[in-house]
Amino acid sequence: MKAAFYSLTSCEGCLTTLITNLGPNLEALWRIFDIDYFKLVREPVGGEKVPRVDIAFVEGAVVTNLDRKRISQIRANSSFVVALGTCASCGNIAYSASRGVDLKRRRLREIEVFEAEPLSSHVNVDFELSGCPVSAEEFTEALLRLLNGIEPKQPDFSVCYECKMRGNRCLLEVGKACLGPLAMGGCGAACPSVGAPCYSCRGPAVEADLTAYLKTIRRHGIPEERALSAVRAFTGKKILGLLKDGKG
Amino acid sequence: MRDSGNGKTADGNGNKNGNGSGTVSEVILDTNELRLIEGHGRLKVRLSGNRIDAEFHNLEGPRFLTSYLRGKPAEMAPLVASRICGLCYTAHSINAAEAVEEALGVTPDGDVVELRRLLYLANNLRSHMMHLLFLSVPPIKGLISVFRLREKDLVAAGTRLLSTSTQLIEHWGGRSVHVPNVVVGGFGALIRGRELMESISRLESLRGDARKFVEHVLEMELPELERFRTMISLKADAYPTYAREAPLIINDGSTVTDEEYVNDLEEVVKEYSTSKHVYFRGSEATVGALSRIMLNRRRLNPEARDYAERIEWRINPFLMIKAQAVEVMHYLEEIVEAGERLSDATISPNGYPCVGNGKERGADPCFSDRSGKGIAIAEAPRGTLCHACEIEGGLIKDYRVYTPTAVNSKSIEMDSVELVKRFRPLGGEKLKYVLEDLVRCYDPCLSCAVSLDFLSDR
Repeated sequence: MKAAFYSLTSCEGCLTTLITNLGPNLEALWRIFDIDYFKLVREPVGGEKVPRVDIAFVEGAVVTNLDRKRISQIRANSSFVVALGTCASCGNIAYSASRGVDLKRRRLREIEVFEAEPLSSHVNVDFELSGCPVSAEEFTEALLRLLNGIEPKQPDFSVCYECKMRGNRCLLEVGKACLGPLAMGGCGAACPSVGAPCYSCRGPAVEADLTAYLKTIRRHGIPEERALSAVRAFTGKKILGLLKDGKG
Repeated sequence: MRDSGNGKTADGNGNKNGNGSGTVSEVILDTNELRLIEGHGRLKVRLSGNRIDAEFHNLEGPRFLTSYLRGKPAEMAPLVASRICGLCYTAHSINAAEAVEEALGVTPDGDVVELRRLLYLANNLRSHMMHLLFLSVPPIKGLISVFRLREKDLVAAGTRLLSTSTQLIEHWGGRSVHVPNVVVGGFGALIRGRELMESISRLESLRGDARKFVEHVLEMELPELERFRTMISLKADAYPTYAREAPLIINDGSTVTDEEYVNDLEEVVKEYSTSKHVYFRGSEATVGALSRIMLNRRRLNPEARDYAERIEWRINPFLMIKAQAVEVMHYLEEIVEAGERLSDATISPNGYPCVGNGKERGADPCFSDRSGKGIAIAEAPRGTLCHACEIEGGLIKDYRVYTPTAVNSKSIEMDSVELVKRFRPLGGEKLKYVLEDLVRCYDPCLSCAVSLDFLSDR
């Protein structure tokens, strides 16, 4: 089997997470796959050419003309495309951030900048692995499933579920605009476990119910606009669906 | 002059076609997309008449994180700033917390500062290991990947150091990348010094691995490319990493305060790069491991100092990887020492001070009554990192990040010109590889650099 790891506009935190957290197991990836493209680990085979592969993992959002060209080449040459991390699956902070900027103010010689989009705005994506950054464990699990011909799956529970499992005090109860009830779990409730409110960095949970959430925070005296501004931070394009459902 | 506007950023649109003097320029070297660096970049060398020019292109798309922060509550800064970079996220979140604290007049206590320093050190160690092991050393040896290194024990030793430093960050920061535990005011969760010691002793047991790795890098043969330029590093009582209120030292012997430093920085738009280049006093300056070693090596820890004495330090950018190797040992020694000082400390959660101190529930921003300006400067893995912010009524009014790569961009170009001049007889194909090695020695981070995007005003 052939695999490739690509990076579009991002902080490259997802790929570095895989490198550091897989640690000594990283080399094992090469025993399972032929990996012709993984820019931080090896010189790509065939230079800038996008190799034909079975599975392509892509981190980052689509922002520049180079990203647009790259993602369509990747799609054309890969049987299965996995969006790696929240930039690729939702557009992350860049989605909202780029919508407040006058992108035509200056022009560059060769690079054009557009409003940030997740991969799915441009090509069909076969599977999304969210997270800012992505979790190495979830990556491994998805990989093992793919290798065995089983469909990988996203966590179908919210951050609250894992937060309760860890016995944390509920942050909504102390008046913080925590997005746990809306957010896709799988992170082990990393932020609420250190007292920081969840910003839903993995996008919305399957069961996210904005109407119910707003009712809950009102009960706790948390201003609605504060929570909505937080939802807009990381969820990127997926906020649109959530808002539609909530107001709908 | 190829620099569009040569320092005047106000209308970078003015001269779209370069110098406009009509000289025909020919691209004599083009790396295409640089391999084995963080982000997407490219280096082109042009010949116009007898003149050689280099262009360091940042091809990474802007994510507008700093402009996103405008109008947001001050305490959001560390969380968003962390996303600037997947390699030095802790540096960004700590600098952000500190800049905001200064603006708001919040002073975290001594143990918090000490623990932040530990996190900073662990992140610098992780970043250096990632850069040396995966990105810089293999191609200089002519290899396509770290896994082709013949010395398997070296790879294993390096990987152990990389994983263990990552575990340290995970343990103290709450996650291995983009740590949520660094918040404005201190730390979000309770930290006990004793628990720190366990993870530190794991790192201490890797001293042999570190020696093996450092010695290997120090013995590498590197090209000679000495060229004088301004070098800058933080100056502290100890070897500089993270220190509050420290001045910066320049290699002419003078010092500047953080405020003077920021005032002397100039943002320059380049028509070929998504990130601005940053000039210091109208010209180039080099920051990073080599600057730190050349300006502060007396303050290195004992074993690192012994290693540093083996090298004849000159302003040769290739030596940056040896400087990083010496720092790997220094950081390890420093983490062990700092851990011992913190072993009895208990740091209680004191982030988000608005909660439970009588303020109205959920009334964010927490610091709605405060305004001010703040600057935080520290030595991130790639060099002097500066966050500057302005806050009004608890909301961020302006936020700017001057990253080491944005500062080094001009030096990367000037060194490339120098390299082509001196090594031209090697011929294009070989020269291209040496040129790529040169850029990599700077350990450029283009995702970081683009946080000062070409569309940002000022």
